[in-house]
Amino acid sequence: MENLEDLKMMAEQWSNQGIEYLQKIPQDQLYAAVGVLLFTTVLLLLSIRLVRRTKSNTVLLSGLSGSGKTVLFYQLRDGSSHQGTVTSMEPNEGTFVLHSENAKKGKVKPVHLVDVPGHSRLRPKLEEFLPQAAAIVFVVDALEFLPNCRAASEYLYDILTNANVVKKKIPVLLCCNKTDKLTAHTKEFIRKQMEKEIEKLRASRSAVSTADIANDYTIGIEGEVFSFSHCCNKVTVAEASGLNGETVQVQDFIREYIKP
Amino acid sequence: MLEQLLIFTRGGLILWTCKEIGNALKGSPIDTLIRSCLLEERSGEVSFNYGAYTLKWTFHNELGLVFVAVYQKILQLLYVDDLLSIVKQSFSEMYDPKRMRYDDFEETFRQLSVEAEARAEEMKRTKQVAKPLNGVKKQGQVSKEETKKSNGEKKDDGDKVSVLSNGNHKMEDDVANGKENSADNNNNNSVGVDVSKLAKLRSKGVRGRGGLRKADSLGSNKGSSKVVEPPKKATKKNRVWDDAAAAPKQEEEKLDFTDENGDNGHVDVVAAADQGESMMDKEEVFSSDSESEDDDDDEPRSDEKPEAKKKGWFSSVFQSITGKANLERTDLEPALKALKERLMTKNVAEEIAEKLCESVEASLEGKKLASFTRISSTVQGAMEDALIRILTPRRSIDIMRDVHAAKEQRRPYVVVFVGVNGVGKSTNLAKVAYWLQQHKVSVMMAACDTFRSGAVEQLRTHARRLQIPIFEKGYEKDPAVVAKEAIQEATRNGSDVVLVDTAGRMQDNEPLMRALSKLINLNKPDLVLFVGEALVGNDAVDQLSKFNQKLSDLSTSGNTRLIDGILLTKFDTIDDKVGAALSMVYISGAPVMFVGCGQSYTDLKKLNVKAIVKTLLK
Repeated sequence: MENLEDLKMMAEQWSNQGIEYLQKIPQDQLYAAVGVLLFTTVLLLLSIRLVRRTKSNTVLLSGLSGSGKTVLFYQLRDGSSHQGTVTSMEPNEGTFVLHSENAKKGKVKPVHLVDVPGHSRLRPKLEEFLPQAAAIVFVVDALEFLPNCRAASEYLYDILTNANVVKKKIPVLLCCNKTDKLTAHTKEFIRKQMEKEIEKLRASRSAVSTADIANDYTIGIEGEVFSFSHCCNKVTVAEASGLNGETVQVQDFIREYIKP
Repeated sequence: MLEQLLIFTRGGLILWTCKEIGNALKGSPIDTLIRSCLLEERSGEVSFNYGAYTLKWTFHNELGLVFVAVYQKILQLLYVDDLLSIVKQSFSEMYDPKRMRYDDFEETFRQLSVEAEARAEEMKRTKQVAKPLNGVKKQGQVSKEETKKSNGEKKDDGDKVSVLSNGNHKMEDDVANGKENSADNNNNNSVGVDVSKLAKLRSKGVRGRGGLRKADSLGSNKGSSKVVEPPKKATKKNRVWDDAAAAPKQEEEKLDFTDENGDNGHVDVVAAADQGESMMDKEEVFSSDSESEDDDDDEPRSDEKPEAKKKGWFSSVFQSITGKANLERTDLEPALKALKERLMTKNVAEEIAEKLCESVEASLEGKKLASFTRISSTVQGAMEDALIRILTPRRSIDIMRDVHAAKEQRRPYVVVFVGVNGVGKSTNLAKVAYWLQQHKVSVMMAACDTFRSGAVEQLRTHARRLQIPIFEKGYEKDPAVVAKEAIQEATRNGSDVVLVDTAGRMQDNEPLMRALSKLINLNKPDLVLFVGEALVGNDAVDQLSKFNQKLSDLSTSGNTRLIDGILLTKFDTIDDKVGAALSMVYISGAPVMFVGCGQSYTDLKKLNVKAIVKTLLK
């Protein structure tokens, strides 16, 4: 009992001292101090929330020159490829809601779509955009597939072994374009061919050295024939036709990774 | 009459094509224009030939639009440039990034084209009056040009992409060699005279809108109908159709080589070579990107020196802060000039530097300055992009992959080393053999240098040290036959790669070049590697263009083989004067596959594009 009373008395003393102390400080300083404290806490909370919230909504359209990326870009954006395209010299960027989803009600998150030129001289541009990518669509010309198979597989190999892609496990969609034409190959055929070519690349590139400056990582499992299921990031295959506007599979892929 | 006029964005979307004259074009001239001209940093040129068409273009850099006019090569339409510029003006007024269709422009275009044609007719009529005065002088030159032109024209085939356009990226014409009289220049600037005077289709006309360009610009003319053949300089025999115009006053300007930026920050540290691994396989460690701030501090000082006009500097600083001004040619000129001189001090050939600057100028003109950037830094950024674009290979240079592919087809992969005397072919051949051997590829050497004393013994010594087979037939034998037999031998004993060493030869030596072309035609190698030393200066342009020219002229079969790759040697002897790499790649379009950086077997590495660009622009 005594202890309690002692404590109570001490507490009272302290509180009196505190109040006296506070009253000694001029009012303005007090208000200023409190204001600054509040401000910084608010700022801190906001920044924490922002940092946690930013999830990239960038989708890259890449592939060889002439595979139909720019047509696909405009299809996804406007629903038509307008008057045609020529070889792109610069990337096409846009943040928008996919054209087919314009009709949807409710809040749909816009997608930041980037069409990177496929010309080999402009290859470094892809590296600028890779760090911010959430998903990659690799467009392949299903019509003229075999003559370009090697170049396409090298490009895909470079993407799959890029440090950003491996570390963040960015999903890749292998999109076979121009499937509206009669002589276009099927997606299964294309998938198998690409796997075979990448297998060959794997053999020749890893034979070069462990410290090859060209590729950061190697993919696939040692001793087994390469298959897309060996990649740590998800690789799927789809078909599309840029000219006809059949881009459903691509849109599904985009929506899967850019949550509305 | 125009075949077609297109307007498209730099991102590739076609905004407008003329419906009235909507003829389908044979082949794909626009795509070829983009790939072989605009993306190759040759946008400073006047026109481009493709098959039966000539293409002219102009940019609107602020909005990112490209305007291209296509017409038949044999016609000489004088109003095209004029038309393109007024179309550019009126279209940019109605351009809206959101709009995709511009059908109403059809009407405006029709009016504009009628006006432009009328204007050209006017000019032609007034020039006709002045014609007789110039007549006499022109006659003499014209007949000389005529004969040379007719020689050249024989080579042009109908539908093939004309050699001229091949020459676009291979033989950047003897821009170097042709020297045009300034007298010629003045006469030729008058458009109308040429057309009326040289009534033949093959005559070379003017340099398009010579007036628009800088007086000393070296825009080389591609259109056969528009090119003026420069009168020959006594020493060099200039071949034909392409020409050039290196105005003589360039010579004086380039005498001042003071290096404005004294600091030599070191760019990359290459790991010390040990006997084991070839440097091809080592990671390149280079210092983290030095702050560009340092360079920026140096720049205003260095830019001021040539200008020395305080008022100019102050207004440019002011503009850089407000950032609203549209870049004009006159604004870009000082920055570009400084940049060109800097490139030249780094041993870039003079006409290459000139062409690059023109191309950068074409891509920046009319653009709005971003705020808080100086003109010089914008120009520097654009030039850096351009250099990276040029040095990035156009096709894959993965030799291992090619070797494996050839192995699957059960035939050896044949590499031929060509070059002028004393550049290091035999030494670097041994280095390549060492590297290949390290990666479990079986190599065979073929000693086709049957001319130089000791060449065969040299290769024999290398072969012995590396323990690889060598095929030799001694001296005074026909190299083409030796090579053929070597390849047969390799097929027989299952070698994966055959490295063929040839004798060094000067590019002007006709019989030797013929022998070389015979070797290449007979044996159809997989890779023709041009070995060039990094110490070479302006001659690199001449060497490469002549080699390519001779190879294409003397090729017998339809499939012309040209230089496929470049091996740059003696890279360790130049500290930061790395410009030869740029000149060679620009002129030939072939990628640099190897870099020789020393005299032992391990001194072979890959080209590091970013490091070179940084060194060039330092």
